[in-house]
Amino acid sequence: MRRTAPIIIATLICALLASMAAAVALGPSGISFGSLFSSDNAWMILWEIRVPRVIAAALVGCGLAVAGTAMQGLFRNPMADPYIIGTSSGGALGATLAIVLFAGTGRTVLAFAGAMIATFTVYFIARRGGKIPVETLLLSGVALATLLSALLSFLMYTAGRSLHQIMFWLMGGFWNISWNDVAVALPILIGGAGIYLFARDLNILALDEEDATHLGVNVERAKQILLALSAFVTGIAVAVAGSIGFIGLITPHVMRLIIGPDHRFLFPAAALAGAILLVWADALTRTFTSDMPVGILTACFGAPFFIYLLRSRMKA
Amino acid sequence: MKPIEIIDIDVSYGAKKILEAITFHAETGEILGIVGPNGSGKTTLLKAMSRIVARDNGEIRLDDRDLDSLGHRELARRVAVVPQDISIGFDYTVREIVMMGRHPHIGRFASETVRDVEICNHAMRLANVAHLAGMSVHEISGGERQRVLIARALAQEPKILLLDEATSNLDVSHQVEILNIIRELAGEITVVSVFHDLNLAAYYCDRLLLLKDRKVYALGAPGEVLTREKIREIFGMEMLVRPHPLTGRPYVLPVYLQQRDAGANRRVHVVCGGGTGSDILHLLHGAGFAVTCGVLNILDTDYGTAMHLGLPCVAEPPFHGITPESLSRLRGCLENAEIIVVTAMPIGRGNLDNLRVLLDYPAKPVIFYARGRTARMEDYTGGEAGAVLASLEARGALRVEGAEELLARLSQEGSGRD
Repeated sequence: MRRTAPIIIATLICALLASMAAAVALGPSGISFGSLFSSDNAWMILWEIRVPRVIAAALVGCGLAVAGTAMQGLFRNPMADPYIIGTSSGGALGATLAIVLFAGTGRTVLAFAGAMIATFTVYFIARRGGKIPVETLLLSGVALATLLSALLSFLMYTAGRSLHQIMFWLMGGFWNISWNDVAVALPILIGGAGIYLFARDLNILALDEEDATHLGVNVERAKQILLALSAFVTGIAVAVAGSIGFIGLITPHVMRLIIGPDHRFLFPAAALAGAILLVWADALTRTFTSDMPVGILTACFGAPFFIYLLRSRMKA
Repeated sequence: MKPIEIIDIDVSYGAKKILEAITFHAETGEILGIVGPNGSGKTTLLKAMSRIVARDNGEIRLDDRDLDSLGHRELARRVAVVPQDISIGFDYTVREIVMMGRHPHIGRFASETVRDVEICNHAMRLANVAHLAGMSVHEISGGERQRVLIARALAQEPKILLLDEATSNLDVSHQVEILNIIRELAGEITVVSVFHDLNLAAYYCDRLLLLKDRKVYALGAPGEVLTREKIREIFGMEMLVRPHPLTGRPYVLPVYLQQRDAGANRRVHVVCGGGTGSDILHLLHGAGFAVTCGVLNILDTDYGTAMHLGLPCVAEPPFHGITPESLSRLRGCLENAEIIVVTAMPIGRGNLDNLRVLLDYPAKPVIFYARGRTARMEDYTGGEAGAVLASLEARGALRVEGAEELLARLSQEGSGRD
């Protein structure tokens, strides 16, 4: 099974490139290949709207999947993902604050700060004697999300004219994406690379924390760095595209089944698959609906998957 | 310079003291066993040595370096731990698990080299799991998984191997297999292991550290540590301690009958010889009877047992027949005894008087004790012994088989009298 890992990853790279190309070609205003050379307008739509949008979708999908993989490994719990444990909510609150208070400037910084604070809050609430049991993790995630959504409602209540902007942005989507946003999203790759450096540590952490210490892993430091990097990546993803749920839950799961639990292969596979998934989700919503927020689509598919996971875990 | 040296450490969980003033060291290449009852702090001591639990004070030194001065990875290159078992959440292969042992040797920005693979292969061969390399850790048995953990520990190339009851969950053949592997490794590696099973500890360890109530109670060779007195003191129960017939190491057997007051200091004289009485001397003494025995040859195993237990015993030098002085001392014992037990011993001219004298005490109840169905008295006196036995039986002497029946019979005799 493990020998096939490079083949799977190579296939995923090809699939991602093909998906991105297809997604650039898809859109509500049908642009033919020939019109690119005859019409400035067609070139504009393609280069200024579709290309940055597709790249941003790929980056955000990749970031969410990597953060989800890291959190599942870290918590030794396949139910963890940035959306469920509150990282996304924290990021959303931070970004909303930026919209309300500063008309959107500093959105990335505040989204990142919010994601970080929310993540570490859940981490400390859920911890029981050095372990993170699934119940306390989900419950403290729910508790914190409730609090954050109350704060968010308050902000929206007082938002006035920017309410519409917040609403749309919260549902998660990629309209109004410019090359500027792509630049904002690029550090996702840096955060992802940082997380990848801990792939071997995560493999060992999957055993048992005490055991990992015996093998030379500085468990507490690894956890803090990985949580901070995951919050960083998620914060950026949220700042760019709002909160898009379940990509971080589903992709690591499916990829673990296909490529095995070794994080050195799992990370690239999940990153590529997350990118492919979000590129297609975005392409489908903007082509076949009138640009419905993509977060609605991922939640429609993701939530049943989450319930399925919960049920099968309860059986086991 | 000692591979590991523990200097006056205290450990507590919250307000509860777990270990107090522990001081010892391990010698290079030895197997040092940590034994003691539940709750005596064995596992905590091991965890303090692998820095999983913090100590309140005191010092731990590895090759003369302070344990606390070592980084996580450096510590893992020196000390490897084999836990009792681990739960492995994801579906790793045996090779992947063993390769994790190389983690402290591989830099964060590096990946496994050919040398790492070779070291893993070697470790898997030593632990006898090479044939399982490609299998999932969920597909193999508990004993195999434990050997995988040993291979992983060896891949760390440690100087010190710590085992926390690493074989407790396994059946005896796997325990022996794994401990034999460990035995082979000792010499190059210093091993410190917590043992639950005293007999495994006695056989496999060069020295034992006995813990009681958070403190070191004894430290030394197994023969010095596992004595009857110390074990009774520590575990609060009677045990038979014998040399193992093949290894000569101490061998501990619990006396399962927990009737320490059954004997109530009642006096029992045991006529035995040729090792046929050692078990019941232990048993009766342990059960609280006031036991005397004799007349015995001083080279007899039973004499050794009696001396070991500190029992009054009439004895003669070898090939010496029973002298009138001994006989009168024997009579003294018999007069005092409430009950007389005769074991299924060989009887020759030399010890025939031991039996004959019983005929002079018709009022004393006599019990013939045979350890098992096949044990019987060998008569080397041409029938004289048989005649004595027959007349004793005619007067009501009973035959019992096995220690439990003997104890039951003795307590009946007791209640009959009361």
